[in-house]
Amino acid sequence: MTTARYRIGIDVGGTFTDFILADMTGGGLVLHKEPSVPGDPSLAVERGIAALVDSRGLAPRDVELVVHGTTIGLNAIIQRRGAKLALVVSRGNRDVMEIARLRLPSSYDVAAPREAPLVRRDLVFEVGARLRSDGTVLEPVDPAEVDGVADELARRGVDAVAVMLLNSYRDPALEIEVAERLRARLPGVLVTESGVVWPEVREYERCLVAGLNAYIHPLMTSYFDRLQRRVGEAGVKGPIYITANNGGTLGLDTARERPIDTVLSGPASGVVASVRMGEAAGRTRLITFDMGGTSADISIVRAGAPEFTTTTFVGDFPLIMPVVNVGAIGAGGGSILWVDDQGFLKVGPLSAGADPGPVSYRRGGTQPAVTDCYLATGIIDPDRFLGGRMRLDREAALAALAEIAQRLGLPGPVDAAEAALRVASAKMASEVIKLLATAGADPRDFALVAYGGAGPTHAVLLAEEAGLEAVLVPTTPGAFCALGAVLADVRRDYVQTARHLIAAPGVLPASRDGWAAVDEAIARLRRDALAWIAKEGALVGAHSIAVSANMRYTGQAYELDIPAPSDPPDPASWCEAFHAEHHRLYGFSDPSAPVQVTTVRLGVIGKVPPVQFPPADDAKPVARGTRTVWRNGKALEAAVYDRAGFGRGAAVQGPAIIEQADTTTLVLDGWRCEADAIGTLHLTREGRR
Amino acid sequence: MTQDAASGIVLDPVDLEIFFHKFTAVAEEMAITLQRAARTTYVKEAGDFGTALASPGGRFFAYPRVLGVSGFLDSDVGPSLEAIPDLEPGDVIITNHPYASVGLSTHMPDLHLIRPIFHEGRIVAHAWDFIHSADVGGGVPSSISPRFSDLFQEGFQIPPMKLMKAGVMNADFLTLYRSNCRTPDVNLGDINAMLAALAIGERRVHELIAAHGVETFMQAQRDLVAYAAAKARQVQRRIPDGDHVFWDYLDDDYNSPVPVRLRCCLKARDGHVHLDFTGSDPQVEAAYNVPTGGRRHVWLTLKLMHFVYSTDRTVPLNYGLFENITVEAPSGTIVNPEPPAAVGVRAATAIRINEALVGAMSVAKPGLMPAPSGGVMIPSVLVEQDPATGARSVMVLQSLVGGTGAREGGDGVDGRDSSLANQRNTPIEKTEEESAAVIVDYALRPDSGGAGRWRGGTGVVFSVRIVRDGSAVLGRGMERFVFRPWGMAGGKPGANARVVLNAGTPQERDLGKLDMFVARAGDVVTIMTPGGGGFGDPLERPADVVRDDVVSGYVSRESALADYGVVLDGDAVDEAATRARRDAIRRGRPGLKRFDYGPEREAWDTVFDDASMLEFNALLMRLPTSVRSRRRREIFDRVVPGLSAGVRPLQDAIGDPDAARARLKDDIEALRRALAPGEGETRRTS
Repeated sequence: MTTARYRIGIDVGGTFTDFILADMTGGGLVLHKEPSVPGDPSLAVERGIAALVDSRGLAPRDVELVVHGTTIGLNAIIQRRGAKLALVVSRGNRDVMEIARLRLPSSYDVAAPREAPLVRRDLVFEVGARLRSDGTVLEPVDPAEVDGVADELARRGVDAVAVMLLNSYRDPALEIEVAERLRARLPGVLVTESGVVWPEVREYERCLVAGLNAYIHPLMTSYFDRLQRRVGEAGVKGPIYITANNGGTLGLDTARERPIDTVLSGPASGVVASVRMGEAAGRTRLITFDMGGTSADISIVRAGAPEFTTTTFVGDFPLIMPVVNVGAIGAGGGSILWVDDQGFLKVGPLSAGADPGPVSYRRGGTQPAVTDCYLATGIIDPDRFLGGRMRLDREAALAALAEIAQRLGLPGPVDAAEAALRVASAKMASEVIKLLATAGADPRDFALVAYGGAGPTHAVLLAEEAGLEAVLVPTTPGAFCALGAVLADVRRDYVQTARHLIAAPGVLPASRDGWAAVDEAIARLRRDALAWIAKEGALVGAHSIAVSANMRYTGQAYELDIPAPSDPPDPASWCEAFHAEHHRLYGFSDPSAPVQVTTVRLGVIGKVPPVQFPPADDAKPVARGTRTVWRNGKALEAAVYDRAGFGRGAAVQGPAIIEQADTTTLVLDGWRCEADAIGTLHLTREGRR
Repeated sequence: MTQDAASGIVLDPVDLEIFFHKFTAVAEEMAITLQRAARTTYVKEAGDFGTALASPGGRFFAYPRVLGVSGFLDSDVGPSLEAIPDLEPGDVIITNHPYASVGLSTHMPDLHLIRPIFHEGRIVAHAWDFIHSADVGGGVPSSISPRFSDLFQEGFQIPPMKLMKAGVMNADFLTLYRSNCRTPDVNLGDINAMLAALAIGERRVHELIAAHGVETFMQAQRDLVAYAAAKARQVQRRIPDGDHVFWDYLDDDYNSPVPVRLRCCLKARDGHVHLDFTGSDPQVEAAYNVPTGGRRHVWLTLKLMHFVYSTDRTVPLNYGLFENITVEAPSGTIVNPEPPAAVGVRAATAIRINEALVGAMSVAKPGLMPAPSGGVMIPSVLVEQDPATGARSVMVLQSLVGGTGAREGGDGVDGRDSSLANQRNTPIEKTEEESAAVIVDYALRPDSGGAGRWRGGTGVVFSVRIVRDGSAVLGRGMERFVFRPWGMAGGKPGANARVVLNAGTPQERDLGKLDMFVARAGDVVTIMTPGGGGFGDPLERPADVVRDDVVSGYVSRESALADYGVVLDGDAVDEAATRARRDAIRRGRPGLKRFDYGPEREAWDTVFDDASMLEFNALLMRLPTSVRSRRRREIFDRVVPGLSAGVRPLQDAIGDPDAARARLKDDIEALRRALAPGEGETRRTS
């Protein structure tokens, strides 16, 4: 009897569903792409698993684990295709979602609208239940009133409800009481309590967590049910895990309950894969660069681990939960070029996306896009795009670019294409530099990890502009998020707002009580986390816990998230860490002052036995020919290689082009490209360092 | 400027597009640095700060797109630098002085720092930032009160001077500064944060020069300004040529009940705009004056910037955007006061100035701009006293605004308003953490949005229940209690603002404009903000859209029937009855108004018409500043005795308009005679 020793990572995209099959005995990574089925994404999952298993001559029972990432929730939020959602709030708070945080998206544009609402105003109901800010009950639940609301919700045919009562971050009991009554009268309707899903102060943001969770709840539950059935029908007996916003994974039951934890998982998985690949390459400082058809996303990794933010957006809505900090920096391959009335060249923000796509796709696009520029400048081969699955029309791209060139007063279409790539690179580079500076980091210390269909194509152009000296290109850049899925550990984050003064002994005697309260809050989160991880499945091995707290000086408007320097944490060293970090970031600190803790955070990580990257073979690169690449008005004769030729230690000098089914890597003159032991390409600038 | 500035562009447009992104990134990085490190809540929660790079002349060529206050793009640090004779590398200039900085700082809590950036001995740019400080001394905590009549009541005055000299901190200044603020530690933390942001700006400028050369760097500044100017001109050509006049009012100047008129004559010529504020009322003895130095100024041109940017979102944010605008703001008027007139609440006036400007644009061509928003920015403040310790705590309860105005093609936004500072609010849960009081209501205000084909955004209702006896609720920027946000092109005005005590109880009473109200435990104070004006004929609004507004509670059934002519049967539109109702309203009304001001202003304008007021103000301006205000008040008291007697609404205070007009005519005549050559009245009265 064979033991199950394969894992499958799956990432559902708009056009393709990507699969990575990992052999846990180090036997290799297999990439598979299956056309997505927009109407039923789980169908592509079932087909892909079957195809993958068949092609390797395996039995479905050999698959010990399926890890799945999906953008269904995110898309439902962006396109407002979620549940018919109702909101139950404390009296006087009906317009929490209407008024939001008051600020409108644009300060300049008088015609810019507010975000489309998640819940219609006539589906928001007030009840007379709420706490005071100290956690005591100001107004108890009136059961008859709640029952009345429940009956109205039934009449209105809602299919999800979020409950957010004021100050429930102190204690979710009132919300639970309301929710239980609603559930009792509304069988089959999913109800989310804000103080349960994310007990953090600020009613609008907490309400959004609950609202978004409820909004995608029915959709995700039915998707996960279908997925489970289809994976089962494919014969796979191993469990299914779902990738999460924090770069970890969750068991299917947790994901059903808390789908909000999964909505931003795609970009997070790419960062997880980058970190693991960087580790194998001996790099801990990375900038991930994921460039696809519609956007380019980056993330900074300073110490060999993904970094988190609590100020991100899901569509139009701010999200305060910790997610891997990935930011959009602008153009994708589909970003459209145009010239304004003053003769300035613009790239984006309009995108042709994949449909109609760039002019060269010949699907009706008439305005040239960034991909057309790659084609015009010779970087990509019209006959070998997506491994030759799609023929591009270079002549059409040139004709469209000729119009741009004429408006810019440039000699020809190739010049226009070059100019557009410079503008796109400069826009992206200025964002990269700003992000690095915010983190207090030097670009020369970082390697750019390039993935997505256009990432490796644009990486060196961006690196030159941003002052980066190394680029890493993984073996499977087109399915990197699927790879990240199989590489991830199980992880969940907890939060509790707990506002107390703490201090080193002697600084503030009264802070003893404050510390006791903080300590108790941490202990409570720890109990919750341990209870959860114990139920998260047999694959989960040893676990670790990371504690941090938002801290500030009293009266300060900004908080820093400071990891506890010791376990168990003690106030003195924690305050010291805060003072030091404050000094590092802002150039001043006040070690004699007490420190206010506002929120404690805890993350639990359950280790999953790691996937090993398979070693590269010994293939040697052989140039298939040369191609003219235009750069700064000069023709470079670039040797063209197949990626398959880059076995361990294989190296070439730029200018070179390396083609593979899922992308094209550009190596400019002045750059050297060498494959490492697992086949990752290291592109480095020559003559530096 | 007679030809398109774009023709003066020297560098390659592709290079300039790249420079634009790099410049913006520098300003944004400065903003990130400042916002993260600043100590005052105004910065983090409200975003009341700014960063930029200025040209050697002192105007901004690099400005953040999204961070901080949007409205200060056309600030000018030039006059503050001219005050310093010996600038050298490593200097940082500090000022908060509205007059000595010639309107760079527009009230004294706004602390501005400027760091000249030198390259090989010459100034190539300046890094600038500002924050709204928590407190700079003066007569009240947070330093702002509408009642103040001169600058000395408004806090610690800092004319442009060196905070750092050649890299060395002026410690004596800091000692003095700390002792003049109620929140010295917070203020010092802010200064540190501001210096850190300036240092980032300087470092990035040096990097840009190292990468591109200093001449290219300088040329890029000039070219991007010329580029913005060309784009702005192209947009401003949409304003038809001609002289377009409009005015709007502040309800009063706080220390007297006399309305204050802001008049704008917009002279458009082929994309060039001259804004003449002549005829605006004299400066007031309250904190409503707007210190502009009589020059092109951010508070006088804000809505033109919004117009340009809304029409062409690719215009680079730099001072070129304003280079096709000239301004006339006569000295001694509320739009260009003489020192030491108080300026703390200048934003309230600035909103009205800009609504007059929008009105003038709408006179030129309806639909160029939206109808006015609620037009208020009210930071409501609670002062509580701990019964045990007697310690007082002061906190912002909420930043209150009205909704935005409707525009051709779109409803206003309910309960939010980006038109002035676009600040964030304070979560109820954060307020309640700091106070014993309970926020019992924070909601949209039904029926407050002006009716129209496009509906004005609603205002909000904000209610706080006082828990501690003797707590005080303070408000400032309380406006639009008398004059409403007007409707446009057939649209109706928004509802006026109100403050009510114990609403819905037998003890309910209007508190009127709130300065400070000392409440008893259990009292509920409710502030209602105005809605935005409507646009277009309400009878043209599709009945099912009106129905949705009713079902969602934005509009009452009564208003649907009266204002929109929509008859509902339950939650369904009664089509036939609606048609009949709308026909009846159409037959019975005199025709659509180009502007619908509401009855208060219509009554006021009947007495105080434009021609009379132009003459009246011209005469007043010939009086010495010291007597002008008193004379003005005396005349208004004679013309409308009901005003000071507190008769409301305004039309009732006026009474018989013909009689009032006759009194006004007599008084103007008397003033003219007194000022005639040889009479020498001015000397006698002073």
